[in-house]
Amino acid sequence: MKAVFALVASLPTVLSAQHGTVGAHVAFGDYREVSSDLRYRGTGGGLAASFTFKKLGIEGSVTGLTYDPIAGSSGTASFKATQLDVRVRYYIAGPVSAEVGFVNRKMKPEFEAQSVGAVRFGARMSYPLGPGVNMGLRGGMLFGSKFSGGGTVSGIGALELGLNMAVDALRGRLRLTGDYDFQRIARTTNGGGGDVPVPIQQALGRIGLAVAF
Amino acid sequence: MRYSLLLGSLLLVPAALGAQAIQNPTLRRAQAAYDNLDYRQALSLAQAAQRERLNGFDRARAYEVLALTYSAMDSILKAVSAFKEVILLEPERDLDPNRTSPKVLSAFSVALTQVLVVRQLRVDSTDFVGGQGEVAIRYTVTQPARVVTRVTGGPAPIKLDSAAANGQVNLRWPARLPSGDPVPAGNYTVVVEATVGQNNFSASQPIRVTHGAVDTLPHLVSLPGYDYLPESEIPPKSWKPMGLALVYSGIAIAGTSALSQGDLGSASFREAGVIGGGLMVAGFVVMLRKPAPQPARGNILYNRLLREQLTRRNAEIAQDNIRRRQQVALRVVPLPRTGGGR
Repeated sequence: MKAVFALVASLPTVLSAQHGTVGAHVAFGDYREVSSDLRYRGTGGGLAASFTFKKLGIEGSVTGLTYDPIAGSSGTASFKATQLDVRVRYYIAGPVSAEVGFVNRKMKPEFEAQSVGAVRFGARMSYPLGPGVNMGLRGGMLFGSKFSGGGTVSGIGALELGLNMAVDALRGRLRLTGDYDFQRIARTTNGGGGDVPVPIQQALGRIGLAVAF
Repeated sequence: MRYSLLLGSLLLVPAALGAQAIQNPTLRRAQAAYDNLDYRQALSLAQAAQRERLNGFDRARAYEVLALTYSAMDSILKAVSAFKEVILLEPERDLDPNRTSPKVLSAFSVALTQVLVVRQLRVDSTDFVGGQGEVAIRYTVTQPARVVTRVTGGPAPIKLDSAAANGQVNLRWPARLPSGDPVPAGNYTVVVEATVGQNNFSASQPIRVTHGAVDTLPHLVSLPGYDYLPESEIPPKSWKPMGLALVYSGIAIAGTSALSQGDLGSASFREAGVIGGGLMVAGFVVMLRKPAPQPARGNILYNRLLREQLTRRNAEIAQDNIRRRQQVALRVVPLPRTGGGR
């Protein structure tokens, strides 16, 4: 009973120190695999949410895209990609925060492109441009990558880079977001005749609208 | 010289008689004879008037006519003797040095040194908080004497001073009882007694002491001369938001180019360009907008100090007001005298 009272008493303080957003976004991307001949472009949409408590922040998003081969590409069929991104961020000092998380991208049909799953470590630099306008630049590495078609990645072979922005509206209740995410995975396979490079590269842009609370 | 002496003596008469008229007819004739420079007649008439029944004022005037006449006739010793009688009858009597001949003034001054009187006893009208002020008392003793100053009229006489004095004496009375409490409100008399051997003289001045409440101080809402400063200030417009947006977007695009796999062809900059472009638009808009007020740290600290000073000062005022409510304001006013000294 005392614990309940303590929780109720501390609730205003706890609530004042936390912020959250829930929103939707449209996405557009460029996907390449193996060689410059296998190139796709796609659009789609998704959902995103974030939660911040003191120095800790957590972000998650699910994005679905339909990739179509561009003209001149050796690809013959479209496929759907569903990407789940999770990032946990901890503020360190100044504009710098550390990030850990994971990425999971599933492709349908399964063998039209490589599904991938990896753990990410990186850092983010955030800077307020002005009242209600924030931007951030992030970079990191993907470790422990797993692919649906097999293959491995060297220690520093999987890199990612990101740029994001958020503009508050309606006194911070609504937030316009923009997010750029670039991944390069230097995947190799061994078919018996030595390592064969089969790289994967995706550039993904997301523009969304979120409700803040 | 003689002419100026006579003229001066003539001029003195109206001043001497200005306040009150002579009642005795013989004395009036003596005064008229003196005014007409008939000194022999003035002398005989003044002496005749002294043998008649005179009131105090006329008696003093009779001696004064005699003194002036003796001075005019160069009988200085007799003039001094007559002036001594004038001073004993009217200790406050003074001659106007601008309208009186030096010979007469000299005789008057010599007479003053030969009689013991306490003159010009004055008590200044004053207001003060009990225990924090004093009443100024001053008088003149014409001869070296043992002088005792007392205040009577209260529960018991209060002795202010006892000293050998000559000339002007200045005293300060805190208007307190021996216990330290302020004297009760009421009428008092300041009595000055001078003694030389068998001779003594006393003068008195009635005073009224009233009590009142001590004014309290109002609480301060600001310190005079010190105003609060604005705790936020609007920084000047700057290119920094646009510049930073440009730098961040440039890093993203350059990073994309650098990280892209060579085997996969040139990287797509469409996504980075859209987001980077949006970021630069946001930076441009922020640059054009009025900057948000920023906390002015120096002003905040200054205001904090000011508030602390104000709080401290008001606490002091509150303490002071508590003390003031327990105090009493004294007003001392001299009252008109009813008679001369003796």
